[in-house]
Amino acid sequence: MATSPQLPLADDLFLTAHDSVKGKCQLSPATLGLGMAAALIGELVLWRRLDLVDGKIQIIDDRPTGDPAATAVLDQLLREGHHRAIRDWISFLATGIAVDLVERRLSRAGLVQRQEKRGLFGSKVSFVPSDSMIAGWPATRIRTFIGRGEMLDVPDLVLAGLILATGLDQHVFVTLDARGRSQLFDQLKRRLPAMLHELVSQTEAAVGDAVMARRA
Amino acid sequence: MSTTSTQPPEQSQLSNALARDRLGVAAVVFFVMSAAAPLTVVAGVVPTGLAVTGLTGISIAFVAVALVLAIFAVGYVAMARHIANAGAFYAYISQGLGRPLGVGASWVALLAYNMFQIASYGGFGAIAAPLFSDWFGVDIQWWILALICWALTAVLGVLDVAVNGKVLATLLVAEIVVVIAFSFADIFSPNFSASSAPLDPGTLVGAGSGALLVMAVTGFVGFEQSVVFSEESRDPRRTVSRATYLSVAIIAVLYGFAAWAMISAAGDDVVGRAANEGPDLFFNVASDQLGGAALHIGHALFLTSLIAAMISFHNIISRYTFSLGREGVLPRAFGKTVPGTGAPKNGSLAQSALGLIAIVVYAVNGWDPLVNMFFWGGTAGGLGVLILVSITSIAVIGYFLKHPEGEDFWHRIGAPVLSTILLIIMTYLAIDNIATLLGVEPGSAPAIVVPLSFAVLFAAGFVWALILRSSNPQVYAGIGLGARSATATGGGGFSAALASTEESK
Repeated sequence: MATSPQLPLADDLFLTAHDSVKGKCQLSPATLGLGMAAALIGELVLWRRLDLVDGKIQIIDDRPTGDPAATAVLDQLLREGHHRAIRDWISFLATGIAVDLVERRLSRAGLVQRQEKRGLFGSKVSFVPSDSMIAGWPATRIRTFIGRGEMLDVPDLVLAGLILATGLDQHVFVTLDARGRSQLFDQLKRRLPAMLHELVSQTEAAVGDAVMARRA
Repeated sequence: MSTTSTQPPEQSQLSNALARDRLGVAAVVFFVMSAAAPLTVVAGVVPTGLAVTGLTGISIAFVAVALVLAIFAVGYVAMARHIANAGAFYAYISQGLGRPLGVGASWVALLAYNMFQIASYGGFGAIAAPLFSDWFGVDIQWWILALICWALTAVLGVLDVAVNGKVLATLLVAEIVVVIAFSFADIFSPNFSASSAPLDPGTLVGAGSGALLVMAVTGFVGFEQSVVFSEESRDPRRTVSRATYLSVAIIAVLYGFAAWAMISAAGDDVVGRAANEGPDLFFNVASDQLGGAALHIGHALFLTSLIAAMISFHNIISRYTFSLGREGVLPRAFGKTVPGTGAPKNGSLAQSALGLIAIVVYAVNGWDPLVNMFFWGGTAGGLGVLILVSITSIAVIGYFLKHPEGEDFWHRIGAPVLSTILLIIMTYLAIDNIATLLGVEPGSAPAIVVPLSFAVLFAAGFVWALILRSSNPQVYAGIGLGARSATATGGGGFSAALASTEESK
């Protein structure tokens, strides 16, 4: 079975968050924002631009990554040098910035398209996968690897972690059997690097926080 | 927002964005008061309490409780600045007195909050039934009406539809206006003669004082939620504390005044009238001054007040359950939400199931919805909250003994010690007077079951925490930190996946 191309982490998570039949987003806007924020920070960690230590972001390399979305976040981090808490940055980027960056990157790649929905109270603009198949790519890839008993690479491990942290697992991992599930969890436990582990934990806490404060 | 625009470094976009949603004093007061439901207390709890206990010193009890809670709030609000998950008593108790007591408290709180919720179903049924027969000429059983609003709450709870903040605020203001208008109408009624009974400080030391104090505490429930906004307020040092004192003061003055006016205008036999007329007493004593239209508005607001309180409380309970589920103190399933809406669905369903059982049990046994469900549920819940406030007050002392940084003597020790002494006396009186409060014989079943159920749950939670300590130290370490914690545990699917491969579904 051929696996689909692997996109940047945030793009993969964005697609996963969308229904593979109707293209509808399965996360609340607040949770999607938190997921996108975390995924972009995760991309910078994968690019070896950032370290995450003790709840704080450290910039270890300030060169642009060549990717506009991740670079925009890096620029912002450089400008606001006095703010370093991971949690603050997730909250801040989740205010719409991260989703916006990811949507732009995906639409440049032709993977999502603008959709305007007219409702009772004005119209709502959203970006949905241009082909409903696309939305299923990342999740299918993870399930395929797990099904074959193969190792996920680090970006996909982070993706799986963020899927769990945002609650998307209730859609994405329901088809995994008990064995596949324990395999996946085992890989997360043993192979997710500590910094990215912290990122996912912080994201999950932010999602819980949003639920408690009725923002989710 | 553009991320590429150049900003001078001192103008932090991050600080601005995070500060935008910050709340001021008025917003916090509104939030606290909306859970308080003024008409439910003034027209529901107070007349029923008069009838059940025969005690009239309720106004002075409101003032006394307000003073004690204000002293308690000094340390409570101060500690909120230092801990995560503020707003949940068990978080304070876990950090101040240790996790086993914290888990016990969390279970007691769950029971107390559920008692309020169930009380509101009974109250709605009992109060709406005669009104519906008056307005529409239809006789509907109280439990049918209770089931209708139960179903409404259950559906809105699962969908996580909150009553719109503006609607809540409008209802709240309208309720307060009605309470004030009716109270002034009382004063101008021909039967009015300023009574000193509601204000007699002697009642606070006399027989049944504990019952009065619990009734008054019931009116203040919800004030503890103010600290939820500690991290989101404009000025963490001032906003929340001002809002808390202001809410407590408003509640005391409003309820104390309304109760005094009603009792003063009700004539000599206020207890007898309360027994005959029930919640209508509040409306009846003012009706000759105000006329039918005001009466109908008052009645309608009474019902909307109950419904709004019901929905708000249901949401508080399902979030509380969610938080406990995320910590692993309750089954992990409660820590899940519906991804598309963020609704803490399982907590909501569990609360609804409990509510349904209660309504059915009361209906089948033919128990009185007003006294046995509304009043008993409300005051038993009030007793639970009083117990929790007392333990929390001790926990504040315990916490600041270990972490004295950043607060002065009065906030750390002075006020907490004073409030602890007063609260322990109140709790002792309350438990001692439980039979008076419920209007039953001392030693009869309800007078034993209510305090015993709190004690049993507290002990069970304590034991459960000890079991967790040996069987699941990671979960144990996260107790009291809430859904927002990012420690080893304290999370949803991801932490569950890491914590245990077998358990997660």
